[in-house]
Order: sequence, then structure tokens, then C-alpha cells
Amino acid sequence: MVDVMDRAFDDLVASLIEGEREHCLALVGELIAKGRQPAEIVTDGIEVAMGALDRKCTAEQFNLLEIMLAGRAVMAVIHRLFPGDADLPNPRATVIAAVLEGDIHDIGKSILKILLTGAHIKVIDCGKDTSVAAVVKAAAESGAVAVCLSGLISSVIPLVRQVKPALGAAGLSHVKVLAGGAALKQCTADTLAVDFVGQTAFDAVHYVGALLDGVYAGH
Amino acid sequence: MLAIERLQRTILRQSCDRPPVIPQIFAHAAKVAGKSMDDYLASAATAAECQLAAWRHYGLDAIFAVLDLTIEAESLGGTVIRHPGIYPAISDPPFTPDRDFTRLAPPDPATAGRMPAVVEMVARMRAGVGDAAAVIGLVQGPMTGAVQFVGMQRALFLAIDEPDRFVHLLDYATEVARSFGSAQLAAGADIVLVFDPAASPEIVPAGLFRELVGPRVAHLAASFKQAGAKANWLHIAGQTAAILPLYSSFGFDIGNVDYCVDLDTVLETLGEDSLCLDGNIKPLSFVTDSADSIRQTADALLARFDGRGGFILSSGCEIPPEAEEANVAALVTAAQDWKKGRR
Repeated sequence: MVDVMDRAFDDLVASLIEGEREHCLALVGELIAKGRQPAEIVTDGIEVAMGALDRKCTAEQFNLLEIMLAGRAVMAVIHRLFPGDADLPNPRATVIAAVLEGDIHDIGKSILKILLTGAHIKVIDCGKDTSVAAVVKAAAESGAVAVCLSGLISSVIPLVRQVKPALGAAGLSHVKVLAGGAALKQCTADTLAVDFVGQTAFDAVHYVGALLDGVYAGH
Repeated sequence: MLAIERLQRTILRQSCDRPPVIPQIFAHAAKVAGKSMDDYLASAATAAECQLAAWRHYGLDAIFAVLDLTIEAESLGGTVIRHPGIYPAISDPPFTPDRDFTRLAPPDPATAGRMPAVVEMVARMRAGVGDAAAVIGLVQGPMTGAVQFVGMQRALFLAIDEPDRFVHLLDYATEVARSFGSAQLAAGADIVLVFDPAASPEIVPAGLFRELVGPRVAHLAASFKQAGAKANWLHIAGQTAAILPLYSSFGFDIGNVDYCVDLDTVLETLGEDSLCLDGNIKPLSFVTDSADSIRQTADALLARFDGRGGFILSSGCEIPPEAEEANVAALVTAAQDWKKGRR
């Protein structure tokens, strides 16, 4: 019985990585019918799949299409497990994701949102073309541990530099600021006045994970 | 030596007086000319005047007849959002994926949206430089066109969910590019750069590029050569080492190398391939670094390719509009000072 169930989870993990949405939903239906709890499916299915996808993308090459397909399958499973609420129950933490004013390219933010959700982290999506004030407000209201900023165009750099001071002025200096995306990843953390610059969305997930594990507690 | 001759001899690995230097300057030209980006974007005459000012100021081997990257999608009815001082961007693509792309005709470059402005810009720049510099036009490549025409997420999912419809979309984007590029060549462009960042291996698997995008960019290259292009140039951003060896077989003479690409890997992968490379200084360094730093990086690049040849000194992608003029000048001077007579 255990072997059969293990194989069912193996199938789910493999199908999630391949982005086979309909097959994933069918497998989840079978698992639920056999008495598995949603939390188990998240832990032994989604989180395992996202970890494997992370390793695959690091070892081979970051490929947006494959990640989007896997992400679509993951979100479909989450919606199936927790109807009417895209959020996972009992998230490890809350993170803000935003694209600042003047930039309306949000595919990077969307990917990050999926990966963070798959890592059991709640994401407050502030959208694109968003003001620094809106980001700070969302961080204050949600108790976020980090703000993730995605930027495709260099014109947002001056705004990115404002976020950390604005958080500090709002009494949120403990909130980490992460940056990524085509333009921002060319910069150093110092030049952007942020805590971390990621080359891929997975880097941001690693940073937040390490943050929650206490690696950056002294910063 | 005339710039276009320098460029063509470099492509053919023949000796010339110095390496060509062609930083991808679009709206940065407005800064050089003392205009705002909004002025640059609003008028073909002003944009051409800015490009000519940049050419004179820096001593470039080529200038780009580029307003922004939303021309095709906007001409098809897409909604473009504009903020002062920033390039426009597509907020709503012109089509939904369920459109029958086999029944759509490409927009007429003589009348559609701002396509005529780009064609006018080409003509003005051609008249302004004569044969002293190359004039380079630009079209969105098939994959980038597909993404712009229906939206990134919908285009990528279409590739998997409805591959036949996706192929029709790619074919349509190719035809839009062919039509628009041909008009630019007829107006006097020497080269039409095929700009296809969405075909990057960071976006789609290399196999998809090889099987689906490749034949279509090859069609563009053949069409542009037939329409009088002096060379074909393919620009794909990001980690392209895996696909660069395909460019020559698709009919391209020049391929860009982005800053993040390891040159050792590229040169090893290319082997005896004759593809001329352009690159690969980090674009943002033209904003944040010093002129000395740019000069050192440029000198190192020129030394790196001194033996191979087939190299155009450039940025890996567009020079940011706000780039420091001294930094761009340092890049150009590096090429102008380089030892003469090398390939």
C-alpha cells in the first residue's frame, strides 16, 4: 500500500515538473479518494516538485516556458485542494511582490509568485506600475518579511532605491528588500540599496527560505 | 574606409582599418541631441535628427532607425501605455489566441500606426549619413512578435496547448516582420535587425527555437537579402550559447552576444563557424561605471577577438537612454584606437 502511494506521489511530482496540468488534477483526485490530506499533497507533492524544478533549472538552464507550465499545474492543484482561495493554509511567511511605476512587464513577478507559493509562502501581489508608497503600505498591513521587486527596464532603478528608506521611515527596517529582473539583475545590491539581487526567481526563493531559517537573522 | 565596407569586410573576416563599433543606441540619441525621450518618440524627423546627432558626436559605424519596440503590436490595434520619459509598453495585446491567424493580412507599413514614421526615419537617416555610416532598421522577430500579439503567457501556453494555432501565430508574426522590414530596406536601410529576445533559451527551450523559430527567421533572412539587405543580423538576449551555432545556417551574418554569456563557451561552441559576433558589455555599465572601466573592458574584448576577427564592438543589448555620454565615447574610442590592419 505504501509503495503504491509512494508511486502516486512520484507520479504527481513528475507530472507537476512536466506541467501536465490535467494529469496532475487526476492524480490529486485519486490521492484524495484514497484518503490523503491536502496538506500531505502540498508537502509530499508540490514542495518536492518545486525543489526538483529548482535543481533542474540550476543544473540545466532557467527556462521560462517550462517553469510557467509547471507553475500552471501547481496553481491548478492548489485551487483544487483549497477551492476559492489561492493561498496555502498556514504559510511560512508573507512576502510582497511588485513591479514599480513606469514598468508594466510582470511576467517575472508572476513566476516568482508561483515559486514562492510552491514554497509555502504567501505572496501579496501589488501588481505592476505600482508606487513605492503602495508597496510600503502592503508590507505594513501584511506583516511581510520581505519585498520582492521585479524590473525589466532601467528607468525603475531610482524608485527601487527609494524602497528600503521608505520602509525604514515606516518603521519597517526589518523587512528585507529583494530585486531581480532583466534590468535590476545587472546591478549590485549596494547600487540598488537593497538587501539582495537575484539572477533568477529561484534565487529569491532561496533567499526568503534562508531568511526564514534564520540565516540572515543578524542582518 | 567606409563604415559599411568595414562592416562587410569584418563579416567576411577580411582585414580592415579597425573593428566596427556599433553600440545599440536607440533613445539615448535623444540625450546626445539635447532632446527628451518624449520628443524622440513623438516625431520621425526629431528621432532621425537625434540619431544623426549621435552619429556625428560619437563617430559610430552604424545608427539605428528605432523609435521603440511596440510599433508592430500597436499598428495591429494593441494598446500601448505611455509614461513621460519612458519607452511605451504594450498593456493590451492586439489579439486573443483564438484568432484565426491564417486569415490575417500584415499591416501596411505605409499606413498602419507608427510604421510609416519608422520608414520615414530610415529615409531621413539614409539621406543624412549618405554612405558614411550604415543605417539599421529593426523588426520584432517571430517569437517576440507572437508574444507581443497575444501576450507572453498566452503565447507560451498556446505553444504547448495548441501547437498548430501557435505555428499559425508564428507564421503571421513572420509575415508582419517581412513586410515591415522590406519597407525599411526600400526606404534605405542597409540591414534590418531581427530582434527576437523572446526566442532566448531563457524563455523557450533551444529545441523550440531550432524547430519552430529557426525556419521562420531563416525565411526573414532570405527575404531581406533578396530585398537588398547588405547583411542579416539576429538579436536574441540572454544565455544564447546553445543556439548561436544555428544562426549561420539560418542565413544570419551577425549575432549579438549578451553580457551574461561566457565568451569562452561561445567561441568553443562556434568553432570554425563564421558568424560575426557583436557585444558584449553589460548595458547598465554605461550608466553606472566609469569611462576608464568601459575602455578597459572594450580593449579586453578587442584583444580577445583579435585573432578570430568577425567581431563588432558593442553593448550586449540596448544602451540605456540615460547612459553617460563619456562611457559611450570610451567604447567608440577603443575601436578607433585599435591597431590598424587587423581582422
